Amino acid sequence: MNLVWKLLRQHISVPQLVGFFFANLCGMAIVLLSVQFYEDVLPVFTQGDSFMKKDYVIVSKRISTIGTFTGKSNTFTQEDIDEVKQQPFSKAVGAFQPSEYKVSAGLAMEGTGMQMSTEMFFESVPDMFVDVTSHQWTYTPGSQDVPIIIPRNYLNLYNFGFAQSHNMPKISEGLMGMIHLNILIRGTQGQQANFRGNIVGFSNRLNTILVPEKFMNWANQTYAPEIKTASSRLIVEVGNPADDRIAKFFQKKGYETEDDKLDAGKTTWFLKMTISIVMGVGLLISALSFYILMLSIYLLLQKNTVKLENLLLLGYSPSRVAAPYQLLTFGLNVLVLLLAVVLVLWIRGYYLDILTLLAPQMAHDSLTNMFLAGGALFILVSVLNVIAIRGKVISIWKHRA
Amino acid sequence: MKNTLPNVFLSRDDIHSEVWNNAVKFEKGRLYLVEAASGTGKSSLCSFIYGYRFDYQGIIAFDAQSTRNYSVAQWVNIRRRTLSLLWQELRLFPELTALENIQIKNKLTHYADEPKIRQWFERLGIGDKLSAKVGRMSFGQQQRVAFIRSLCQPCDFLFLDEPISHLDDENGRIMGEMIKEEAMDHQGAGVIVTSIGKHIPLNYDKSFKL
Repeated sequence: MNLVWKLLRQHISVPQLVGFFFANLCGMAIVLLSVQFYEDVLPVFTQGDSFMKKDYVIVSKRISTIGTFTGKSNTFTQEDIDEVKQQPFSKAVGAFQPSEYKVSAGLAMEGTGMQMSTEMFFESVPDMFVDVTSHQWTYTPGSQDVPIIIPRNYLNLYNFGFAQSHNMPKISEGLMGMIHLNILIRGTQGQQANFRGNIVGFSNRLNTILVPEKFMNWANQTYAPEIKTASSRLIVEVGNPADDRIAKFFQKKGYETEDDKLDAGKTTWFLKMTISIVMGVGLLISALSFYILMLSIYLLLQKNTVKLENLLLLGYSPSRVAAPYQLLTFGLNVLVLLLAVVLVLWIRGYYLDILTLLAPQMAHDSLTNMFLAGGALFILVSVLNVIAIRGKVISIWKHRA
Repeated sequence: MKNTLPNVFLSRDDIHSEVWNNAVKFEKGRLYLVEAASGTGKSSLCSFIYGYRFDYQGIIAFDAQSTRNYSVAQWVNIRRRTLSLLWQELRLFPELTALENIQIKNKLTHYADEPKIRQWFERLGIGDKLSAKVGRMSFGQQQRVAFIRSLCQPCDFLFLDEPISHLDDENGRIMGEMIKEEAMDHQGAGVIVTSIGKHIPLNYDKSFKL
């Protein structure tokens, strides 16, 4: 082999190979970086709420004036829910379950003598729609402790509105978690029960006071057994919130969606667009660099045609003659892949710091897709190289070079 | 070979040849001489038989099997084990030394060992040229290197296309001895030598006029 290599390495153009190397490194690194960046940044938009995950749309029926007077129900029937489920864009549908009993919550501030109390309500959604890593998000029937998620707005209302004007202490999210709400439930048949509410999370987007579905089922059955619950809001998991079929369908049915949910969807969509464009550029550079490599190898084969032909006439098989060049390109590709991965990890180190500051609760450890993308690109380029070189050698065999 | 004729001769009707447009059969263990003037297609004949060129009419067959449809793998095998050809243009690698030129073939076949190769070099009077670059050698010396290379494989037939065009009579005689010993006595191969006048002094079983 070394004698063959000694022959065939003649005319190898180092500058051309270096050119290919850096161009492909550039393309590969851009592609891998965009994949990794997407992987790392997407959760900021889709999971940044600590409550919602992926792309969800919350749907309700429009409340119209006529509806109010005629007493037309604005709840979703089972048929309505099934219809939404069958839509191509929906992956899963969950119904909001309202509390059918009366709830009042009180907040006692020890030492201040202040006592606040308000009538309120609970809602629940299936647990799969709640992305709370907290082990607190569970309920055992009969227990006094009820975990609650409230909209972040409520806290802001208190801190910047109420507390400010009443000279009351401001409450941080962490402190809020330590405060217990006194919850009083009055059932339809006059039963009463006290619970302790613990706020375990805040939601930016979901405007409701959320309790675990387990608690809701149990409480509705215990305190309002004769009422059949009907939900007036649905939560729909969608594949792509930018899908225009979603808007069309809801418009046709006269349903309303909560706007900011679609905003997040839009942000995600723009992120995806941007990443796609960057990735496209990376792929283009990769393709061009591949072209450089092919030109260089073709030129090399052309210059060495006589040698290759003589080797073939000596009884060397085309695959054996092609092997050194195939190994050369293969080796280059491996090197490019490794360096690109190192480069991406290095760059990732920089932006990850900022990202951790922006969204501390997220885990950034998924490199799988980047490796998959790198591997796929590597295999594609290598296979094309190998096939092209083999084809060229065969054409020399047939004197068509 | 039956009615074989190179495409370039198709338009000519004045072919008077004992090979072209005739049935010719080469057998193992025999020695043939193909004599011809320049331009009558000696090298073409070798290329056709060796599977290098296919621009001919008629049939070339090994053991009654036409070679036209041989696969790449079959040809590779034939060039390693069955046919050995000393090209008129030698087809050596000028950037390699004489010994490397031999080894590049011998590594495929593992036919001759190094002492044997050195002995052949000595015998042909180029023992001091083993590690000289082929590009720096005279054509006569190169011819001897290429000849040694053609011996470095098992074969049923050895084709020598004008092997002594640049050699003196003495070297021609030595080459003749080596052909007799190595190819014919040792391997039992058939040998076909082409010539444009000057030819190796051997007892040819048959001679053709191309």
